[in-house]
Amino acid sequence: MPLTPSLAAASEHFTASEQSVYEVGAIAASFGFFGVIWLDRQLLVLDSYGWLVDFVQRGQPVTDSILPVIGLEDEIIALRNSPDRVIELPAVAVAEAGRTAHKMNFTFFWNSAQDGPIVLAYRSSSQTELEIELSKQIRARLMAEAEVTAKSKELARANADLESFAAIVSHDLKAPLRHVRCLAEAAAQDPAGSSDAELLQKLHDIEAQAQRMSQMLTALFDYSELGRKYEALEIVDTLALMETIRRTFSRSSMAIKIDGQWPALSTLKALLDLVLRNLINNAAQHHDRDSGVIVVACRDSQQALVMTVSDDGPGIAAEHHASIFLPFRTLACVDTARSTGMGLAMVKKAVESAGGTISVASNPALQRGTTFTIHWPKYISL
Amino acid sequence: MMSRKVMLLGEIGVGKSSLARRLVFDKFEFDYKPTIGVDIYRYEVPDSPGRPRMTLIVWDTDGNFGEAMFKHIYMKEAAGALIIGDMSRPPTLETMSKLGQGFSEKFPGRHIGYIVNKTDLVQNPDMLALPPFLTRPGASLARTSAKTGSHVAEAFIHAADAIARRSV
Repeated sequence: MPLTPSLAAASEHFTASEQSVYEVGAIAASFGFFGVIWLDRQLLVLDSYGWLVDFVQRGQPVTDSILPVIGLEDEIIALRNSPDRVIELPAVAVAEAGRTAHKMNFTFFWNSAQDGPIVLAYRSSSQTELEIELSKQIRARLMAEAEVTAKSKELARANADLESFAAIVSHDLKAPLRHVRCLAEAAAQDPAGSSDAELLQKLHDIEAQAQRMSQMLTALFDYSELGRKYEALEIVDTLALMETIRRTFSRSSMAIKIDGQWPALSTLKALLDLVLRNLINNAAQHHDRDSGVIVVACRDSQQALVMTVSDDGPGIAAEHHASIFLPFRTLACVDTARSTGMGLAMVKKAVESAGGTISVASNPALQRGTTFTIHWPKYISL
Repeated sequence: MMSRKVMLLGEIGVGKSSLARRLVFDKFEFDYKPTIGVDIYRYEVPDSPGRPRMTLIVWDTDGNFGEAMFKHIYMKEAAGALIIGDMSRPPTLETMSKLGQGFSEKFPGRHIGYIVNKTDLVQNPDMLALPPFLTRPGASLARTSAKTGSHVAEAFIHAADAIARRSV
């Protein structure tokens, strides 16, 4: 609603709108305008904020109600050059102890006749309800936007997962399938020429390959699920987490030593647990001696936790350092290994899902042992 | 008496109003009531040698405003901002960075203090890792609990000192 810059019009406007009056000190009444406060321009600026000269001259301290005006003096004075302009300062309250303060709406405009600014100060319960409703709607919109953003991220992740899933299925799962087909063909081509024992062996081989394929599919499913099951961030005491992993580690022949500084941080607990647990299991599983030591250490760098998992096993030759993180890759013999070759692939995927990196260092020609180093971000944005 | 306007900025529910009410009235209300618009508090900063007597006019803003706040008339003549996040909700800490950046662009040279609130919800709050922008050298960071009152007054007094030093 446009406001006419005159006291009379302002007064009319105020009465007509049936808004209740918010009293700003006793000054309003002294001017005879109910709810209209006249502020001469020299009142507005003082060397320190919080006191208005006019009120001081009248021997009255500024009430807290006028606090919202502080800082706006220059802006209000500038209204003189723009007589049609108004400044709206909506929904401001001066907080009071023990009760809800009424929200005030300030409207400033210039009174050309008096060559000074006018401020209308009023409150309206209906307007407050409207503001509450608007606030709810804004909040709902923000939440919806956040949800869309999260879904988009999830979709991008899902698409990337799908691509890698398809590549793995088409390449690696063909091997046992091919094996089964060859064995079946061999058995079918010359059934009379084969002894019962040979035929039985072929059937056993087919069964073993089928079992292997089933294990691979299960592991592949777990791998594909990883990263999709995004959990909420939670505050994790990493030292307590490591202690739990050590306590529940099943191979007593391997000693686990925890070293360094393990801070608390807000992170994806299940992913971190999976990474540490898998690396420890991997170190134990591929150890070539009856007993050994696995050292899990952590140091706090500026942006990441730098965790290392070191073992005193046989080590990994440099030419295998890249391939060990690929799905279904294991350096152990496939037929004898208990591993599906998915452990390190899952570790890498988990680390990268959290925004971190993993690397391996080992040189069996020089010395035994392997060290995996993980840079795990201290601050994760979902 | 020097009076200076300080904005409280941060996402909804991080505890802006609770901090202001703890500071000024030394009270904590368990019922959450979102702020609509702005609530204004007056805080007489305890005297300190070397700093002029100061009143902080604390503007407790509606978290809905977000970055749009910087274009609003509410921000006029702000001498500084305290940007608040909830220690138990990491995304609110991320928002602090954006708000800090927005404020420093709009009001270069003005004081920005970062407050990570709700330390009472976290075990060993000093140990908890925070986003790098909060812990970088020179950043003004306070870990507070409006519920217990821990470090609340210190955070505001520190802001008053910084504002006085900058002669804003």
